[in-house]
Amino acid sequence: MLAQDLYPTTPLYHTWQYALALTIALVVVLAYANGARRGEDGVAGRRVLVSAAGAAVIVVAGLASGLLGPDTASVVGTPGTVVPVPALGSAAFFGPADAGALVRGTAGVTLRRRNAAEIVVAPSGRRLVGESLVYLEPRPAAYVEAFDAHGARLTVTQPTSASFLSPVLLFRDHQRIGAFDVPFDTFAAPARHRVVRAIYFTPEQLRTFTHADALDAAHPALVVTASNDTGKQLGIALLASGRTVELGGVRVRATIGTYPALTVAAAPATWALLAGIALFLAGIVWSALGARGGGAVRAEPQPPNPPQPQRA
Amino acid sequence: MFLSACYNAPDPGKAGGGGPGMLAGAPAQSFELRRTDGRTDSLARHRGQVVLLNIWATWCPPCQEEMPALQRFARENAGKVVVLGVDQGESAAAAGGYAREHGVTFPILLDEQQQYGRTYAALGMPTSVIVGRDGRVVKGVDGAMTIEQMRAAVAPALAAAAPQRAHGASI
Repeated sequence: MLAQDLYPTTPLYHTWQYALALTIALVVVLAYANGARRGEDGVAGRRVLVSAAGAAVIVVAGLASGLLGPDTASVVGTPGTVVPVPALGSAAFFGPADAGALVRGTAGVTLRRRNAAEIVVAPSGRRLVGESLVYLEPRPAAYVEAFDAHGARLTVTQPTSASFLSPVLLFRDHQRIGAFDVPFDTFAAPARHRVVRAIYFTPEQLRTFTHADALDAAHPALVVTASNDTGKQLGIALLASGRTVELGGVRVRATIGTYPALTVAAAPATWALLAGIALFLAGIVWSALGARGGGAVRAEPQPPNPPQPQRA
Repeated sequence: MFLSACYNAPDPGKAGGGGPGMLAGAPAQSFELRRTDGRTDSLARHRGQVVLLNIWATWCPPCQEEMPALQRFARENAGKVVVLGVDQGESAAAAGGYAREHGVTFPILLDEQQQYGRTYAALGMPTSVIVGRDGRVVKGVDGAMTIEQMRAAVAPALAAAAPQRAHGASI
């Protein structure tokens, strides 16, 4: 159950096998508790009933979160947009981010609920919302800027994104290139009738490129291609973070970093886990203390043997 | 079509969709920006006045079509409504040159980081946002407006009484 809180995205928790295992564990705990209640294990056994109750609370909490909680989901939002999260009964406001925020990975998400306080989810934090654990997972992102041949700024648009005027690429789509499944995104510089496709490569993938020697292999980079109105390819280049390349008459600069996605996973309620653990430990300690003290955990005294008849 | 589009397809069901219309009643966010005339300006500096904020770019055909009506509206409502043009992601030379060439006299803010466009949920350009005297969004409009539509859009904001004290507004 602790693992369910520590690694909540594991799909195992929503399987029937996991639910069956927990049910069996619960039956075992209840069967033992029933025996202990009847005095089969003496006083010590009765004291361990407290531990059994704790174990039952933990198992039931795990079972409930696995069966009733939401499936693990990742909510991706463009900076500055609001995305409904029905599983939480909330709307997630994805904080604005400039190039610096992407590099630092400091952008957060705020959950807004009707008639309830806002919940701020920080990059390193986890929050429990009802039966769900929410936390942020960094995803590849790039802040792009476009300039004309003279260095004058150009408008950047994302016609296929929820945020038309956002210069932040989130690489939601994937494509197969050789052995790699790589994320990509596109943006337009409409003033110059150019579409730029940016493909994201990790440092590990870049190290396999024979022509990527000039790049800092410790950081991710983009392969960018430009095309015109008719779809004609106008150039391809490797683009490291903070650098500028010229493609088809447009200079493109990208700052590569991360932007968070909100992950929602079912997890046992913390209060139930803590209460269960406390009960479990209390039962163990109580039983152990009794054993050390002597009489308290001895078997209940048997009635004295009836006097044997004297043989004549 | 993809390249020259000033709009993406509005999809109310899409995450983050809804456009600027959904912002009605919300505090209007403000960003301090440089203008084409070299001064700095922001929405916040016009608090207490009705503001028509127009998000546009020089390359955008619907923006170009709307601009004469916007200029006429600004002139006929001088002293009643502040018109602010917010150019998205272009240089001072591009936006200023266009304004001079087309006789645009209202202030043009240079939004190089496209902050207003992002914040006001622009689905495309032009996007207009009417901000009331209390610093809250009265209405958001996708697409080019005629001068009659501009008059109708600001009428509720002009009719509203000036607030005694504005609470919680961002401008």
